[in-house]
This record gives sequence, C-alpha cells and structure tokens, in this order.
Amino acid sequence: METFREIISFASAFVLPAILVGFPLYGLYKRVPVYETFVDGAKEGFNVAVRIIPYLVAILFAIAMFRASGAMDFLIAGLRPLLGAISIPAEVLPMAILRPLTGSGSAAIVVDMINVYGEDSILVKMAATMFGSTETTFYVIAVYFGAVGVKKTRHAVAAGLLADLVGLISAVYIVRWLFG
Amino acid sequence: MLNYIWVGLIVTSFAFALTSDVTDFTRDTYRNGTPLPVALEFDAAYDSEARRQPARVRIDGETYGAFFNTDARPADAYDATLIRTAEGVQLRLDADADLPHPLGTIRDVTNPRTGQLQGVLSALAADSAGIAATTTVRFEPVRFVKMNAISQAALDFAETAASIALGLIGVLALFLGLLRIAEAAGVIQAIGRVVEPVLRPLFPEIPKGHPAFSMIVLNLSANVFGLGNAATPFGIKAMEELQTLNPTEDTATNPMVMLLAMNTASVQLVPPVLLLALMGLQINQLIFAIILATGISLVVAITAAKLFSRLPVFRASDPNRLDATRPDTPTSPSEG
Repeated sequence: METFREIISFASAFVLPAILVGFPLYGLYKRVPVYETFVDGAKEGFNVAVRIIPYLVAILFAIAMFRASGAMDFLIAGLRPLLGAISIPAEVLPMAILRPLTGSGSAAIVVDMINVYGEDSILVKMAATMFGSTETTFYVIAVYFGAVGVKKTRHAVAAGLLADLVGLISAVYIVRWLFG
Repeated sequence: MLNYIWVGLIVTSFAFALTSDVTDFTRDTYRNGTPLPVALEFDAAYDSEARRQPARVRIDGETYGAFFNTDARPADAYDATLIRTAEGVQLRLDADADLPHPLGTIRDVTNPRTGQLQGVLSALAADSAGIAATTTVRFEPVRFVKMNAISQAALDFAETAASIALGLIGVLALFLGLLRIAEAAGVIQAIGRVVEPVLRPLFPEIPKGHPAFSMIVLNLSANVFGLGNAATPFGIKAMEELQTLNPTEDTATNPMVMLLAMNTASVQLVPPVLLLALMGLQINQLIFAIILATGISLVVAITAAKLFSRLPVFRASDPNRLDATRPDTPTSPSEG
C-alpha cells in the first residue's frame, strides 16, 4: 500500500515530461514536420478557450448564486448523512450530477471548487478525477445516434449512466485511497 | 434535463435568498436604525474639535447578546478611529477586525470595499479625565443581504468564467499542439493495432472485414489519447457503417449500444486537455487515479451493455431479431 503510493508519486513526476518530450520525439521519428504541426494544433487553443466561455459562464454563475444564497450549504448538510453512509463527501455532488450532462459545465464545477476549497484540497482532486474519468454521456448519445437518425436507443442510456455512476464513485474512493 | 437543473439552481437560489431575507426582516436581525451602546477609551484626552482621533471600542458581551439576540460575543476591544463629518461623529473600526455575527455581515454589506465597520455616534459622555466615554453607535441599515449576495455572486462569477477561460489559452494551445503531433505521427493507428484483437470479441455482430469495425477501433484509440476532436468523426463514421448493418432505421443495434457505452466510459491515458489546463502540474498526481477510475467504468460499461442486451425487454427490441421468423430461438450472434 505505502510502496504503491511511493511508486505512483515517483512515476507521476514523469507523466507530463513523457508527453512533452515523447510526442515530439515520436513525431520526429515518424518524419512528421513537428514544429509546423505543433503550431497548427496550438492555434486551436484560442478557439477552445473562447468556445467554453458561454458554458463556463452559464454554470459558474448559477452555481455561485446557489452557493451565495446558502442553498448549497443546506443541500450538503442535508445529504451528508445519506452520502456519508457510503463515505462520499456531499461536496462533490454537483460534479456527479452535471458530469453526464455538460462537459464544459462540469469543468466550471472544477473551477468553482478550486475557488472555494483551494487547489490542494482532496475535494478538488476528487472532482477533477471524476471529470477526467467519465464522458458527457448525454452529449455522446445525442451526437452519435443523432448522426444516423436512431431514435430508439434501447439500453444505451442505462449502460452509459451505470458506467458513469460506477466511474464517479470509484473516482472518489480511489482519490481517498491515494491521497486520503 | 440540463434545462431543469440549471433553472432549478437559479430559482432555488432566489427562493433561499428571499426566505433568508424575509426571516432577517421579521426577526430584525440587524436592528436597523437602533443604536448599540458602546464604551470608548482614548489614549490622549478626548478632543471634541479634533478631526480624527484614535480610540478603542469596548462592547459589553451581555449587552451585545441581548441587543442582537445572538450567542456570538464581541472581542475584548476593537481599535477604531473617530472622524468628525458633516453628519456628526463617525466611528470607524479598523479594517478586517474579527467581528462577531451579525456585525461582520453588517460590515461586509455596508462597506465591502474598505472592510471597515462604520457607524454614527450619538452624544459622547466623557469622564472627567477625558480618556473614557460611553455612547451609542448607529450602523447603516442592512436589508436584503442574500438578495444582494446572489446578484453579486452572479456578476462576479460571470467575470471569473471569462478570465479563467482566457487564462487557459496558453496551456490549451500547448497540449493541443502536442496532440496534433501525436495525431500526425499516427498514434491512433498504432494504438489501433494493439486494441483491435481485444475489441473483436465485443462486437460479434459485425461481419469480418466490415469497415464498421475498423472505424470503431480508430474511434476508441483516438479516445485513449484524449484526441476528442479526432474521435468524434471516427465515431460518427462507425455509426454510419453500423447503420448499414441495421435492418431497421430508428432502433439501435447491440454493437451501436456497445460503442456508445464504451465512448461514455471514455478510457483515456491522456486526460482531457481542459482538465490539464485547469489543474496544471497537479494532473501528474491525478493521472493514475483517472486511469484507474476510467478503467473500472469501462469494464462496467462493457458488462452492462452485454448484460442489458440479454434482458427480455431489450432482446425484444433488438433490430436483428425483429425480422427473425422465430424470435424466441436464440439464433442471433449476440448469444455467442
């Protein structure tokens, strides 16, 4: 257990360097014009940032109002006994609810939680892991089935949401196990 | 559904704020307009002509509790300044004093910029030496605390949202550039060769050599590398190919549901670019947690898609069985 944590904290120092160095090296090996390709891809950065603004605004302001009104404290206090029984902190509930519905919106939840609990908080780690480990189920279903005009989705929603639920809960447990 | 949750958040906030403000109003939580008795102490003798004079404010705990009907108690003494203005003598407590409820709220609402609690003093009754005095102080009225708080929060965070998003441009550009290199270097195809044999048993309904399967492989491989933009076109192409195998027009087949379930579980070795940008170096620590959690959810997605397809209700709606002559006979390849 302790050794496993050690290994992870050791290996985690190499994750970003592996991407930063590995991708260009692999590209060079595959004779890709790496510099031009990088710049071409990086141009998208501005577009992505601008594209998520309306989503961030929509969710952040609503969540901020919810917090400021005292409703968030009320909700968290109310759900704590229930979620506490399966040792899930009630603070991550907004993420769990919004994750399957909106991708950029749940990124807004991460932003909100960093603001409230601080970047190093275990709650933020949980929320970020929840964000990273599941997809925007309803969006994926809408786009893929919409593309071919399938309306009767049968067990797709059930399977997708069940996978989300298990993914979200395991994210909480795994983070607590690694950093708790 | 998102529509209801979103409106729900906003309307609930309003309802909570309204309830809280009406409660404050009926209970007179802030004693608007009623003067609070305080004792003042001066280092130098009180000078009724001085424009500014430092002072210490003492509020009796029992008086305070009875006045605001609260269990909170003020600190022993607060440093303050007396300022002579046209409206009378103003008492201004030093910024960021540790104020009890509800004085702290009164300060935050009436003077959020300077962080100084201020009120107007009534006539001062100084002792003979002029270094101690009793008086009363009247604070600015406080109304609709929560109503103002939710409006302020909405405005503040709309601004925060935009500035955060713009602050992400650089890091987003960095990772999108790196991912473009990976894409151009054929990482998707390389991963595809590895995962192809693993994926084959999950899609028994697709005939060997059908283009649908290779599209599925590309779609899921692109997901593994966090190449969401590349994954979606492959996914849509896969769905179109799968639709050619679909005897009906509007009903999902088992391989379609499997593809969807695997996409919603989103196995990824590289976390979403947006998360990378938001968490910065912290992502280093989280990456194993993310891979682990996403792996678990993938297993659940696959199992659920397989098992649910065998439930009577979904078996009955399977397009590949609808046109079968004997629907009860397990002839579909999904049984294999």
